[in-house]
Amino acid sequence: MAAEASVPSAGTPKDGVRPGRNDARWLLLLWIVLSVIGCLLVALVWGPHLPPGRASEQAASQQTDITVLGTLATPVVIGVLLYFGWALAFWRQQPGDETDAAPIHGNTKVQATWIIGTSAIVLSLAVYGTIELIAPAGAGSGQGPQPVFRNGLPPAASLTSWSPNSNNLLQVQVIGQQWAWTYRYPQFGGFETTQLVLPLDQPVQFNVTSLDVIHSFWAYTLGVKADANPGVNNVAYTTPKTAGYFQVRCAELCGIWHGSMYDTGTVMSDSDFLAWTKATKAKMASVTKILPPYALTYDPTVIPAGKINQELGLTSAGGGFYNPADPEQP
Amino acid sequence: MSLPARVAALAVAFLAVVAGVVFVAFHIIGEQPPVENYAPYAKNGAVDITMMTTPQTTSSNKPDWVSYFIKNPATGQFEHTTYFGVPANTQVNVTILGYDGCTPLRNPLWGRVAGVVGDVEHVGYFNKGKTSPVQAVSTFDSWADCSVQHTFAIPGLGLNVPVASPPTVDENNNLCTESPCAGSDDASGNAPHSIVTFSFRTPKAGGTFRWQCFVPCGGGYVDGNGGPMATPGWMMGQMEVEA
Repeated sequence: MAAEASVPSAGTPKDGVRPGRNDARWLLLLWIVLSVIGCLLVALVWGPHLPPGRASEQAASQQTDITVLGTLATPVVIGVLLYFGWALAFWRQQPGDETDAAPIHGNTKVQATWIIGTSAIVLSLAVYGTIELIAPAGAGSGQGPQPVFRNGLPPAASLTSWSPNSNNLLQVQVIGQQWAWTYRYPQFGGFETTQLVLPLDQPVQFNVTSLDVIHSFWAYTLGVKADANPGVNNVAYTTPKTAGYFQVRCAELCGIWHGSMYDTGTVMSDSDFLAWTKATKAKMASVTKILPPYALTYDPTVIPAGKINQELGLTSAGGGFYNPADPEQP
Repeated sequence: MSLPARVAALAVAFLAVVAGVVFVAFHIIGEQPPVENYAPYAKNGAVDITMMTTPQTTSSNKPDWVSYFIKNPATGQFEHTTYFGVPANTQVNVTILGYDGCTPLRNPLWGRVAGVVGDVEHVGYFNKGKTSPVQAVSTFDSWADCSVQHTFAIPGLGLNVPVASPPTVDENNNLCTESPCAGSDDASGNAPHSIVTFSFRTPKAGGTFRWQCFVPCGGGYVDGNGGPMATPGWMMGQMEVEA
């Protein structure tokens, strides 16, 4: 119907089909050229600046993964935008042109190319992602008390001692509480401190837990993020590769001062780290002896059997710590 | 209705909604307690601040909440606020009058005095009609004898001070019934259960530092951490350091 109303002239449809340039070839050529340029820019220029940086093995692995994914996504993004722009520029309806576009019929080649291409991309990324999940020992994410992926890491650590370059993971317990982080070092007498200090180039196992609500331990430049749940030990690994400071933030809305729940951690040499542990152990001795024994989780409603329990008639199962008559108690 | 009238009505309605949102944001959500500004009262590089812990807040609409009060430096009266201002690079000498009873700490780590001059606080107790000599204390074991009623902690400065309490099993003090607790007469039994003093230095640069209590003293709330523990003006506040 529309074809009947059109006026034949140069550049207008003839028999319902638009004449003109070979759009497919131009699009393909432009897409290839732009994709090559875009991929190079993403991989070589933008990639090294993508978060979380390369301050640890896990962070570097994550940055590489993001760069790979970004590079692979670049041709797709360019293809969509190029097609969109091309359609706007060249396929817009001209004044007086009320013809329909050419009817679309099934095209086996196009369909097969699309299905095979997208399947290949998705499946290859799935394989790549699975390998990356396993290879860098969990990439710093919380994996519960018994991580499935710990390739390349030493077996269970001794909780009585630690020395650099030994077959013994440094254990650092991260304890979340409204609204502060504290850190416990079981291999150095179990002292607890508000300072997070790590040795350079040594694998670290974070045991993350909480005393109250759900927090999230996020040392983002180390590539570590693990939820801190009360009553749960959540394990994450990292191996710092850069000396200096790093930021720790709570990444789970945990109350009114959630935004202030951050710390500045420090990565230092082995010798400096050992000196720090020695000094801190001595400094914290008076409070270390009254801390509960080191454990992977703590129940702060349980007061250890002692003077307060005996003389106030409390049980050590949480009785009396909070008034049981309070309706909102768990 | 004509087109100009429609446009005008739409504009008025839009502005009314915006004004309502702004009002709620600034006057309800953003409302904060008054600031007791001690900066003008600093002398010779030091300033003295007096606070109080109370077992309830009868002067507020939450009479059963525990709270801090801060003395107004101009009037000498205790005000219901937890916001105060101090100069930068100044020694702040703090006195806390502890009128509340004890509650065990959630984490015994907060029983350690830290970030203050000498890493000790000085405590004088009033119990059973007697005032004990002032003593320096560096660590409280609140699980052994419930010796802490609240804490005054500024995480950004690494400061933590437990507000001492006479051990519960030995305590024979009555909790005051009106806040701020007015009594200081030992004979009437209205003296603070403990008087805690300590000093710390403010940073050389200005800034705002939150402070809070780490004792789960929000009775009636989950794990004792709601209500006054989660409301500015009760068991948390801000220290505004003026450069």
